[in-house]
Amino acid sequence: MYGRRACQLVKELSDRDAGQLTAFNRDLFDQVIKECSAHHLELQSLMRIIQEGGLDIQTTRNADHFGAAIHHLALIRNKRCLMAYVYNRTGTIQSLRWKVGPVLPQEIQEKLNYSEEEYFKNYSAALESYMSELELDLTVDMVPPKDPYIQVRVLDDIGDVLLSDQSPNLARHSMHFLKRTDAEQFISQGLMEELTG
Amino acid sequence: MASGSEDGLGIPSKDYDSLIATTDVELLKRAWQNEKAAPEILQFQADLIRRSQEQIQLMEDTVEEYAENGTDPLTVSLYQMDLDRTQFLLRSYLRIRLQKIEKYMLHISKTELWNRLSKQEQKFAKRSTDHMEKHLKQSVLSRLPYGYQSILKQSISSEDDDMGTISSFCANHFFLMCYCLFLSFLIY
Repeated sequence: MYGRRACQLVKELSDRDAGQLTAFNRDLFDQVIKECSAHHLELQSLMRIIQEGGLDIQTTRNADHFGAAIHHLALIRNKRCLMAYVYNRTGTIQSLRWKVGPVLPQEIQEKLNYSEEEYFKNYSAALESYMSELELDLTVDMVPPKDPYIQVRVLDDIGDVLLSDQSPNLARHSMHFLKRTDAEQFISQGLMEELTG
Repeated sequence: MASGSEDGLGIPSKDYDSLIATTDVELLKRAWQNEKAAPEILQFQADLIRRSQEQIQLMEDTVEEYAENGTDPLTVSLYQMDLDRTQFLLRSYLRIRLQKIEKYMLHISKTELWNRLSKQEQKFAKRSTDHMEKHLKQSVLSRLPYGYQSILKQSISSEDDDMGTISSFCANHFFLMCYCLFLSFLIY
C-alpha cells in the first residue's frame, strides 16, 4: 500500500520518548525515496499516454489522469512525511545543543546522519555568534534561581578550576559550596550533582 | 545611579531601593511575562535590554566591591540573589525569543514580524533559516524527483506556497493521520 513506509518513519518519531533520538533510519528513508522515484516514473508515463492520445493534459479526466493524480498525491504525501521526519529530528538536535553543550558525546553522534551533524555544528556556531554579540551566555541559568550558592558533590575528578570567586580543587567525592552559574555547566555535563535538602 | 553614602556597615535603605528596585527591573519582568505568554514574537525592547545590561554590570561591580571591603556577608548575598534574579529574567527573555524565532523561522522572515527582531536576532534568524534549508535540501529535497524539490511548494504545479510554514511539519499531526490509516488497514 502506498505511503506505508513513510507512515512507519513518522511513527518512529512518536514511539520514542520526547527529547530522545533514535538512530537515523537510513534504510527506511532510502526506501521511501525509491518509492517516490517509482511514483514519478509512473506519473510521467501516464502523462505521456495522455499526450500521445492527443488529449489536453490540463482538462482531460480519464482513467490515466486519475492514475497520474494518485501517483502525484502519493508522492506529495511521501514528501511531507520525509520532511516531517527530518524536521522533527532537527528540533531534537537543537534542544540537545541547549541541554548538553557544543560537543556531543559519542553515543549521540552515532545516531545522527552526516547532514544532521553538519546542521548541529552550524546551529551551534550561529548560537555562539549570537551570544558573543550580546556578551551573554544564554545556556546557563535555565531555572529561576533560589539561592546564589548551592552545595554540590563532585562525581568525577576535575582538578583545580578557576571560578569567578574561588579556585577549588574539584576532587572526586568532595563537596563544595559553589556559585550556581559556575556549577551549572558541570552539572549539565554530569560531572557534579547538586545536593538538595 | 549614585551608590549613596555607605558607612561600610549598613547600606541606607533608600540607596538600596535606588540601586536595585528601579522601575527597569519591573519593566523587564513585565516584558518577560508578556513574551512568555504571547504565542507570537513581540517587539524587541532594545532600550530596556541595553539599560538592564548596564545596570546588571554596575551591580556586579558593586557586589564585588562590597564582598571585598568586608560588608556584612548576608547583605552581600542578598544583593547577589537579587542580581541573579535579574540576570535570569534577562537571559530567559532572550531565550524565549530565540525559541520563537527557531520555531517560526520562515513565517517571521516573510512577514512584518521581521521588524520586531533586534539586529542580532535577525542575523541569527537568517543563519538559522539558511542552515535549515541546506539541511532539508541535502537530506530530502535533492533526492526527490524533479518538480518536487521546492521547500515551500509541494510541487511545481502548486500555485501557492502550500508546504505551509515549516512549523506545520508537525509529526504529531501526521501520526494521527497515519495511525488512522494504519487502523483502517488493520480492520480490513
